[in-house]
Amino acid sequence: MHKKILLISRHAPYGNSIAKDAFDAALATAIYDQDLSMLFMDDGIFQLLRDQQAQEISQKSFTSMLSALPFYDIDKLYIHQESLEQRGLTIENLIVDNATIVNSAQISNLLNHQDHILSF
Amino acid sequence: MIVPVMIFSINVQSPPSSQASYSAYQFCRALLRQGHNLHRVFFYQDGIYNATNLAAPPQDELDLYSEWQKLSKEHSVELVVCIAAALKRGLLNQEESIRYNKAGHNLAEGFTLGGLGQLIEAAAVSDRLITFGN
Amino acid sequence: MHIIVNNQQLAVDKDGYLESLQQWNTDVATEIAQNENIQLSAAHWEIIYLLQDFYKEFEISPAMRALVKYTEKKLGPEKGKSIYLLQLFPPSPAKIASKIAGLPRPANCL
Repeated sequence: MHKKILLISRHAPYGNSIAKDAFDAALATAIYDQDLSMLFMDDGIFQLLRDQQAQEISQKSFTSMLSALPFYDIDKLYIHQESLEQRGLTIENLIVDNATIVNSAQISNLLNHQDHILSF
Repeated sequence: MIVPVMIFSINVQSPPSSQASYSAYQFCRALLRQGHNLHRVFFYQDGIYNATNLAAPPQDELDLYSEWQKLSKEHSVELVVCIAAALKRGLLNQEESIRYNKAGHNLAEGFTLGGLGQLIEAAAVSDRLITFGN
Repeated sequence: MHIIVNNQQLAVDKDGYLESLQQWNTDVATEIAQNENIQLSAAHWEIIYLLQDFYKEFEISPAMRALVKYTEKKLGPEKGKSIYLLQLFPPSPAKIASKIAGLPRPANCL
């Protein structure tokens, strides 16, 4: 069975392990050959910031880990426009250049086209 | 109204101290009552704490731990705990306890440790995958 | 459990992964490889160093698919194939090669 799965990552990269657990779930979804899309919204946007120095707090860097996504064929990435704007960020601040920026209305459309949603 | 029978899987991401775990359990009971199939309950993140056999809740509070076990027994529901999430939080079965040379094991009967692939497989074969928590 | 390299005892777990990754060196790699019935050749070392580069770049141990794609990118399409990696590190290249390269044990989930 081959399902369309959208993984929504809404939490900041550090402070708890939710973002890392979302990342692990994304890799597993890709490895098990499902049709995966990833949406970053709310504080989840911060995971994509360039030049994170996570070793300073003895953590793994999301800048590094998320850069591995193309090697797992995870290339359908979506970024919530309002979340970006609310945090004073632009796509230039982020490590992904191939992501699609979506507004809230477009997100409903994105959700409508999925078989399953995994929310973190 | 005729409700089509569907296959459900449940993803529990919050600990038994949260409403989310309790709601997940109630949701499982409700869907089974209505004649749907429950393929698997997967425990991820802090949801893994539902599977410890060392919790001793007060007598006048719902013992969610044993409710999961009853549910599994009565309806042959698979209760799968994410192995990586469990190991890093100190929830082990005998096999992993030996592998990592730890002092004991505390995975409750009726639960099994499994990979995240089990969550993805559940998504692949189920009509509905419902996440509780976060 | 332990392995002995240059008269030093190094702790490994039940599956042969180094407990302390800082102890890795090329002699350790050779010993771990021998326990997997692999004689390291130049072709093996190329993949071992590639894996270490992957870990430095992404801070995770690669699953098979990612290892194949990374190999393809860095060493070209001839080597970026599962069959090539399987010949070098049977029966499970990502796991076996990570163990020899001194990478952390891959998370069981993946």
